[in-house]
Amino acid sequence: MFEFLFKYPPAIFEKGKFVLLSGMPVWLLFLLVAAVAAGLFWNMRQRHGLLSTARSTAIWLAQTALIALLLFMIWHPAISVARLRPQQNVVAVLVDHSRSMGIAEGGKTRLESAEEVLDNQLLPDLSKRFQVRLYQFGRDAVRVDQARNLSADDNATRIGDSLKHIASEAGTMPLGAIVLLSDGGDNTGGIDRDTIAQLRQLRIPVNTIGFGPDHFAKDIEIVDVSTPARALPQSRLSARVAIRQHGYAGARVKVTVRENDHPIAQQEIVLKPDVDQSETVLFNAGTAGAHSFQIGIEPQAGEENKQNNAVVRLINVGEKKMRILYFEGEPRWEFKFIRRAVEEDPSVEIFTVLRTTQNKTYRQSTTGVVEAHELENGFPTKPEDLFRYDGLIIGSVEASFFSNEQQAMIRDFADRRGGGVLFMAGRFTLSDGAYAKTPMAEMMPLRLLPDKTWSRDFATATLTDAGRESVITRVEEDRDQNIARWLKMPQVANYAVMGSPKPGAEVLMNVAENGHRPTPLLAIQNYGHGRVGVFATAGSWRWKMLQDHTDRSHAMFWSQLLRWMVNETPGQVLSSTPHQVLADDTQVPLRVSVRDKMFETVSGATVQTTVVRPDGRSDVVELKPDPLEPGTYAGDYTADKPGTYVAETSAHQDKTELGRDTMTFRREDGVAENFGAAQNRDLLEKLSSDTGGTYYTPGNAKKLPGEVAVSEAGITAHDNLDIWDMPILFLLVILIRGGEWLLRRKWGVV
Amino acid sequence: MRFRIAIIAVLLCCGFSALFAFQAKFKEYNGEEDNPAPVPKDAFEATEWTFARLRYPSGRYAGYSSERGSWPTDFPKADRQFLEGVRRLTRIHTRSTEQVIDLIGNPDEIFNWPWVYAVEVGHWDLTDEICKTLREYLLRGGFLMVDDFHGTFEWAVFTQSMSRIFPDRAIVELPDADPIFHTVYDLEHRLQVPGLQYLYSGRIYEKDGTIPHWRAIYDDNGRVMVAMCFNQDDGDAWEHADNPQYEAKYTSQAYRLGINYVIYAMSH
Repeated sequence: MFEFLFKYPPAIFEKGKFVLLSGMPVWLLFLLVAAVAAGLFWNMRQRHGLLSTARSTAIWLAQTALIALLLFMIWHPAISVARLRPQQNVVAVLVDHSRSMGIAEGGKTRLESAEEVLDNQLLPDLSKRFQVRLYQFGRDAVRVDQARNLSADDNATRIGDSLKHIASEAGTMPLGAIVLLSDGGDNTGGIDRDTIAQLRQLRIPVNTIGFGPDHFAKDIEIVDVSTPARALPQSRLSARVAIRQHGYAGARVKVTVRENDHPIAQQEIVLKPDVDQSETVLFNAGTAGAHSFQIGIEPQAGEENKQNNAVVRLINVGEKKMRILYFEGEPRWEFKFIRRAVEEDPSVEIFTVLRTTQNKTYRQSTTGVVEAHELENGFPTKPEDLFRYDGLIIGSVEASFFSNEQQAMIRDFADRRGGGVLFMAGRFTLSDGAYAKTPMAEMMPLRLLPDKTWSRDFATATLTDAGRESVITRVEEDRDQNIARWLKMPQVANYAVMGSPKPGAEVLMNVAENGHRPTPLLAIQNYGHGRVGVFATAGSWRWKMLQDHTDRSHAMFWSQLLRWMVNETPGQVLSSTPHQVLADDTQVPLRVSVRDKMFETVSGATVQTTVVRPDGRSDVVELKPDPLEPGTYAGDYTADKPGTYVAETSAHQDKTELGRDTMTFRREDGVAENFGAAQNRDLLEKLSSDTGGTYYTPGNAKKLPGEVAVSEAGITAHDNLDIWDMPILFLLVILIRGGEWLLRRKWGVV
Repeated sequence: MRFRIAIIAVLLCCGFSALFAFQAKFKEYNGEEDNPAPVPKDAFEATEWTFARLRYPSGRYAGYSSERGSWPTDFPKADRQFLEGVRRLTRIHTRSTEQVIDLIGNPDEIFNWPWVYAVEVGHWDLTDEICKTLREYLLRGGFLMVDDFHGTFEWAVFTQSMSRIFPDRAIVELPDADPIFHTVYDLEHRLQVPGLQYLYSGRIYEKDGTIPHWRAIYDDNGRVMVAMCFNQDDGDAWEHADNPQYEAKYTSQAYRLGINYVIYAMSH
């Protein structure tokens, strides 16, 4: 229908450029239209007779539109479009032969459907006009002679890499267009910007034909699971599980975390009517070492794809004891009970400095060992002394106690060093301690109120929605029991009224006196490379003293809060890789951040990673400085066999070791194609639109040979296609004139 | 229906809150004061810490059978004078008045005061319920300082009661290196602090308690739970700090020791 009315297919209008070929200036067209409109208007005013103003205006509009349309046609409108010259260009046809193309729908596999489209429609037509090069692709594109008997056996789909391969051949042949037949199930997380940019630069349109349904009728898929990459021993961890389901709304299923096939945690959930939902399941990190957790949902009856119900995540549980400095401005019960809570935690050590009198401080460590000179002058005055710690707690200390340099150091402790900072409430701190205009207020997740807000009134702490899901506030294994447990928790002995949370902050607990409006009690946020929290009370000690001595809720709360502070605090050397679990992939990009004691970037370091393979043999990778990111060193490793690899990185400068770091990664084969197995139509459509191509379904793919010629790549010729004679224009002329006549008949002025 | 449930839930929450909100305020014990002292204007101030004195039953063992019992010995002047010292010498936010913890009338109140003081414990007569409360209090993290008991007989009374609280824990002599003697002041060298009677008798000891002892019961992590000032009378030293005849060296040590114990309790 479109082509009948507009003479050409839509692609011509999308890709072509509108021109007027009469040679007469465009301004003259507008001038004539205006003149005609004015003349008709004057005529209407003079001779409207018995017609009302509205009716005579309608007649005037119809006449003006008709004259304007005719003038437009006289100016000879056309579409200027670049078209591939017949028989002089190459069209590359890529057929996806990854395992997901082997999924059968309607009695045929997707690959068979693609072969059918190629044989019956595309290849015969394309071959008449272009030289056709046929490729099959999965991990990479490989040229094939014919589109028959292809087998869907590649374990991965890398559309970006395959297109890059084809684009690289454009320099040796007149590549006019690419036709890609796929389900869009790319395993690399999308097509990278470089590939798109390269195709756009070469002006090669990628026309896509999508196979497979947009979703399965009955399927549950684990789309993603986010877990921390590192943890402290016996930490309670949170896995955020993104679930997509079709056909199971309302079903009760269990999200299970397994290690070595043994379930270690389980959370029952109800699948929501929405397609996508996110759930949290908590589990224990276990002892020090590399742990591999499988997180998923048991396959349900009738599921069409049972291979996408679980994913594997690696977590490195470190052995290092994290060091926290707690600086307290006055003796308080909270101080004592926090220390006691941490004494039970073997992974965290607190060094405390307590201002006991006006001129004395008392130094302690939860292990009982304080080096002779450690903290003997109170709060550190040099960044390197402060940055020795992984976490920092500021108690009831007035802002003026800290010098400007120390205040900046506290901010840098989170921002640059990547440590965790917790501000406690007290009579000398926060709003009462004149923090409002210091760098410390800037880093807090809550705004400070201008007046003093410290109160020794008892108040009740309550969990917010975020607090109900948080690991920090989980003192009972079961979520509902935990909520009930907090309802029975003794009141806190004091609190400070805080301002509203800042963007990005997460309020986990509120506090309120009876009959008063709640105010944030515990809020956290990421700040720079680190984390910052505000705990607006010093009265949680009552959670210990007002409950049975065997109750561990106070110790658990503090242990979890402090572990949150320090769990992700980096050392001077920090290694990472984008994907710790390589699904049918072999390339491991290694990145290492190297810092000095001040946590400034180090540029001239020697950085080496020793990778121990699954079979025990090891390889050494020398990492090179990343010119775009000072202090970062990069390298690539090829994991040539499935299994778990351990990578230990060391950095040296002038024969001095700056630090070491260990991470693990794992290669798994035969899993990538199980996920995202429905057609990723969004990806294919975006690929086409970004490169100037068109997305087709198998049903309308027959149009492709006619439209594929519109391209600026390869050997092209610019054609001007007349559009003054489009049927739609003549139809409009008839409609306008006929409409006017009918109106005149109706109003009796014919 | 939902509205009704919400109302009930709010009322229940209020009920819980009211339950946990309770904490006793300052109260005078006019008929039982041993050495009355004026009540300061800020007697009811809410602070971090105050001198919490145990009001316990007494009399059965020692024939000490006056109506008031032995708990308020030196009370309240010793308490308030010590509090003045704590205010002046430390950064502890301190009330000007003591808090009496009535172990008979309101035993659970003790859990709101993690540092408590008991005097003349050679005369106390604890019920099984009080022993249970004290044990629980100490295991949760409370700290008990006992003072002003002397000689073999009073020690026996005290240890008999402590064995009911902690049948499984030994009473040990505090070593000079223990942190409790070093939190604020270094107190390796200590005196026997006498009661006021030494001004009349000339003896700095009472009964057969010639040698002072600083003893303790530790918890499982090596922290002092019960600190015993045996054969000495720090309460008198605080009470008579303004008495020109009572020697400053005793008062000084009593204040230092008391402050060390308080800071220790707030930091261990």
